[in-house]
Amino acid sequence: MPDMVSIGQPQQRQFNPYSENGGTILAIAGANFSVIAGDTRQSEGYNIQTRYAPKVFRLTDKAVLAVNGFAADGSMFVKKVKQRLEWYRHAHAKDMPLRAIARLIQTMLYSRRFFPYYVYNILGGIEEDGSGAVYSFDPVGSYERESCRAAGAAQSLVQPFLDNQIYFKNQRPPPGTSNPTHLPLHEVLSLVIDSFTSATERHIEVGDGLEIFVVLAKGSTTQGLENFANVQEMTQTREGERMFNIRRNLKRD
Amino acid sequence: MSIMQYNGGSVIAMVGKDCVAIASDLRLGNQALGISSNFQKIFSVTDRIYLGLPGLATDVTTLRELFRYRVNMYTIKEEREIQPETFAHLVSSTLYEHRFGPYFIEPVMAGLSKTPSGSFKPFIAATDLIGCLNFAKDFVVAGTASEKLYGVAEGLWESDLEPEDLFETISQTMLNAVDRDAYSGWGVVVHVITKDKVVTRTLKGRMD
Amino acid sequence: MANTGGGAYSYSLTVFSPSGKLVQIEHALAAVSQGTTSLGIKASNGIVIATEKKTSSILIDDLMLEKVAVVCPNIGIVYSGMGPDFRVLITRARKSAQAYWKMYGEYPPTRILTQEIANVMQQATQSGGVRPYGVSLLVAGWDGTRGQQLFQVDPSGSFWAWKASAIGKNMVNAKTFLEKRYNDDISLEDAIHTALLTLKEGFEGQMTEKTIEIGIISVPSTAEREEPTSAATGRPKATFRKLTEEEIKDYLAL
Repeated sequence: MPDMVSIGQPQQRQFNPYSENGGTILAIAGANFSVIAGDTRQSEGYNIQTRYAPKVFRLTDKAVLAVNGFAADGSMFVKKVKQRLEWYRHAHAKDMPLRAIARLIQTMLYSRRFFPYYVYNILGGIEEDGSGAVYSFDPVGSYERESCRAAGAAQSLVQPFLDNQIYFKNQRPPPGTSNPTHLPLHEVLSLVIDSFTSATERHIEVGDGLEIFVVLAKGSTTQGLENFANVQEMTQTREGERMFNIRRNLKRD
Repeated sequence: MSIMQYNGGSVIAMVGKDCVAIASDLRLGNQALGISSNFQKIFSVTDRIYLGLPGLATDVTTLRELFRYRVNMYTIKEEREIQPETFAHLVSSTLYEHRFGPYFIEPVMAGLSKTPSGSFKPFIAATDLIGCLNFAKDFVVAGTASEKLYGVAEGLWESDLEPEDLFETISQTMLNAVDRDAYSGWGVVVHVITKDKVVTRTLKGRMD
Repeated sequence: MANTGGGAYSYSLTVFSPSGKLVQIEHALAAVSQGTTSLGIKASNGIVIATEKKTSSILIDDLMLEKVAVVCPNIGIVYSGMGPDFRVLITRARKSAQAYWKMYGEYPPTRILTQEIANVMQQATQSGGVRPYGVSLLVAGWDGTRGQQLFQVDPSGSFWAWKASAIGKNMVNAKTFLEKRYNDDISLEDAIHTALLTLKEGFEGQMTEKTIEIGIISVPSTAEREEPTSAATGRPKATFRKLTEEEIKDYLAL
């Protein structure tokens, strides 16, 4: 017997196409290098889906992209960016410069203004002038070049720490001196590692593994990079830009 | 918008070597609108106990008076000064009395407690708005900038800091955390408690 | 007209007699002085409280009889007077100690707990429809601020701190005896023996481990005080405990 009440009643169905998969990413630019890092935990709610899901990707020999937010959108977005970069290579027989990649990402994100990729992007690498650079984006393509940026679940934990340690906010230099505009690589790496261990300590969505990409401008030395454990050289261009990968464990609880 | 964010404000307490420090911002707001840049949220309970009350401003005043009353009654009745551990329990039970209609405050306490051998031991504690105690060994935070405070403190704090170094650590933690919080800021006040004195400093920071 | 001592004033609890007395309280004290003797001695490193435990018939199983009671880990009480009244008071005292624990996370200092009981007893001298409690109490306790303390509480609700005191049937003799025996640096062991000797003075019948009860406060050392809770249970270590029959037997044998 049909339910007389339910017949003719308006019903609403809903599908939510977005999810949030936790994790945190971070990038810091030096004078002639760029460091891009992210943890490797992927979660949904209180459930850990995997302890190793990379969020940081090599785009070219001198560009690295970190994506954080909705993992499915993230991987699709990275795939499309890589595709566009390959088309560029075929058309121009060279890699797209970093600032052009940044603009490309803006255009790609804004093209989906009304059904956005639910992703926060941080692009790191070496500019054509040889300087280290970090570009940060919101999900719809608003972007700026900075020397340091954290995004994701533990952004609010990490960013003020970076303000203090990278930008020397609230720190007055001793008389007659000035605060450095760029830090040396080994200090930057220590800060990245400290940031992630701190975030792991206090945020449930951060942990398991840490993946750090280091891009060195041509002509620069390794600057103490060899003193870090698990350093692996990924690529080296003919001009001399080098890219390294560092993997570390974070607490898994 | 949660009632806990209505007026804004944050407090942090840290342990050092034979000393403790407690700091708060000075902002009083009405949601996004700033009202006062000299709203004290930290109060001395005894010469060696300080209490921070971040949360709803009306409850800051009410609880401050309630704890003053209860501590005065304790001191007179028992003919002794209340100890930090005891005071923390008093705070906890007072808040839990209002389990189903709570004060919108997350208290933070810092003090030095007397040991049986006569020396002083650093003590910090915090509770949620219904009095669940958290005795931490390093630092405790509360208020609208609590996440930021956790992040910076976790990065800057180390054990056995001398009073002057503890002052630098807690000040930098507070200043940089509130700079990333729209509801906290407008100046910072820091108290460093050692066995024979309390040093109170007011910091300007960026006042926006 | 009533034919007892107080005349017309003896009925109403809350009316003073012309001579300024509340006669019902005097009667309550009389009830106490008919009770079995109890005493307490404060020593340099503890306190002993002891009492005579008398049964009216050999057929009574004295297992259930408890005259020295633990209130909380740092406080114990002994009484002289009416058993049922004591039971009510000890329940109130225990509740008060637990309420204090709930509020402050520690057990009450001896004086605070004594004051709470004294208030309960005082209220019974001023409320309608009740009579005063027919007991006197000796409260022995230890706390970190004041050390070991011995208090006596009377039916009127008044209380004093004592170095040594006795209540009940034989209190006058016992106090005289204690005055002779007491000195300020007596040890707990000596105090226990003095307590037994004092009880023996006016004891009716055989003094055995079945016919007396003893409770002691042992003052913890500074090292012990640094660890106030048991590592195994997480509960506060007790400074007051009752002596077992075995232990009492050993003391009596000496």
